Amino acid sequence: MSRLSLETLTLAQGGRTVLENISGTFEDGAITALVGANGAGKSTLIQAIMGLLPPLSGKVNCGVPKERRAWLPQQLALDLTFPMSVEELMLSGCWPTHGTFKRYGPQDYRRMHTIMQRLGLSGLAHRPLGELSGGQRQRALLGRTLMQEAELLLLDEPFANVDTHTVEILCDTLREMASAGATVIVVLHDMEQLAQLADCVLLLAGGHGQWVEPETLLERHHAPARRHAHTQAPFISLNLPDVPPCSTY
Amino acid sequence: MLDLLTTLDAWLIAPLTDYAFMRRALVGGLALSLAAPPLGVFLMLRGMSLVGDAMAHAVLPGVALGFVLAGFSLPAMSLGGLIAGLLVAGLAGSVSRMTGHREDSAMASFYLISLALGVMLVSLRGSSVDLTHVLFGSILAIDDTALWLIASVASATLLVMALIFRVLVVECLDPLFLRGQGIRGGLVHGVFLGLMVLNLTAGFQTLGTLMAVGLMMLPATTARFWSQRLEGLIGLAILIAMVSSTGGLLVSYHLGLPSGPCIILVAGIAYLASALCGRHGSLLERVRRRATPLETDENTCTPS
Repeated sequence: MSRLSLETLTLAQGGRTVLENISGTFEDGAITALVGANGAGKSTLIQAIMGLLPPLSGKVNCGVPKERRAWLPQQLALDLTFPMSVEELMLSGCWPTHGTFKRYGPQDYRRMHTIMQRLGLSGLAHRPLGELSGGQRQRALLGRTLMQEAELLLLDEPFANVDTHTVEILCDTLREMASAGATVIVVLHDMEQLAQLADCVLLLAGGHGQWVEPETLLERHHAPARRHAHTQAPFISLNLPDVPPCSTY
Repeated sequence: MLDLLTTLDAWLIAPLTDYAFMRRALVGGLALSLAAPPLGVFLMLRGMSLVGDAMAHAVLPGVALGFVLAGFSLPAMSLGGLIAGLLVAGLAGSVSRMTGHREDSAMASFYLISLALGVMLVSLRGSSVDLTHVLFGSILAIDDTALWLIASVASATLLVMALIFRVLVVECLDPLFLRGQGIRGGLVHGVFLGLMVLNLTAGFQTLGTLMAVGLMMLPATTARFWSQRLEGLIGLAILIAMVSSTGGLLVSYHLGLPSGPCIILVAGIAYLASALCGRHGSLLERVRRRATPLETDENTCTPS
């Protein structure tokens, strides 16, 4: 059973077709890595899945209600000079249940503190976001999606500019969320992290998508450790039809 | 001691007890001081500090048209200003969305067109004296109608701000989160700009169209030197605006100067003083922090 699938999806951005005829199913409880060179259309696909970009043709079938879809954008997209504390950021994750008006109750604070502890953020509740390290900020943002009880989680390069401790916490938390049944889609560049985290890979290149097993991709890529896809020319010219399809397709 | 009290009374209390127009101006000023600074805080935090200024210019043709059609009628001029302001904000937003150009460039273009139209209209009908009045306000013009208008606008602004506060905060930090939740950020932005225009039109009687934006922005930018929390910024900005309004009115009364510039200059002095010796990011704080690099903020900043 799957809550998210793509049906011959074609997407355009600014009058230019970015992705064509992408089909496939994202399994519930699995972590899918979205891989491709810069400009391959990863962010465009995420926008379409979030329902923020209407498709040119085809469709996104998503059974997850809008308020349970969470998107962790790249940190650069946030205004970090805004005077907001970690606590306020995380509580804003209560939006689906609290909306604009409902007061935060003691149980919300308790839930928040549990999540903060799990993410190693205890004691930082009142710290302004601007004073956090990149890693702490990324954990706080993931904390918001946990508060949101997200069933579909999209992360855009969550491991960029964060410390190894944070990478571990993020990986563990994502794995836990997936085990609990959430659909997790992560934009990844690092082959080592892909090997560690991904159950399946959607490879985007030349406007087309191909579902592959992570092992196949890693073999193809002859990836020893820590190789970055966006710096690797052979990755872009990967001959898509040669790659055996993933079982979820 | 008695002398001192008498002098204080003559300077601070007597002008207000003796003259009804001073009392009305004070109440009007305080009401504006409650509503405008929170808007200024959000404008500042969104990097839109100059948008207030642009909108203050943009309301001019509406005010002028009201003046041309109905003479010196406050409701007509305010309504005209409101319509012109909302029109410019709406057009700028639409052009920005359609073309992908930044909103500030569209807003700059429309407010300049609007300003030119306004000046043209005033000069067609009135004299330069009228234009001065519209631009810089007059304390004597505050009658009961004006007071009701200002008080209503202030109350409505505070109420709507309370209603959209959470949305506004989340939208400032991460607009995509809100879009993901199915809330149209453009709508929130529109309501916010509407409130701003409403306050500018309410303020133009006391302060004039150009000065009204001062009571919105200066207290907010001053508060930035003293607080790093949103609630603190808003509370402080309101306090600074209230003190500036009262102080400015008294100075204008005693020295026989125009009220609008006096109020804004008092707020301006508060800004300069805060930039010099405020708690966060001021010149003094920087010098002290350089001298004792290992100490925390609390220890290095000791405001007098």
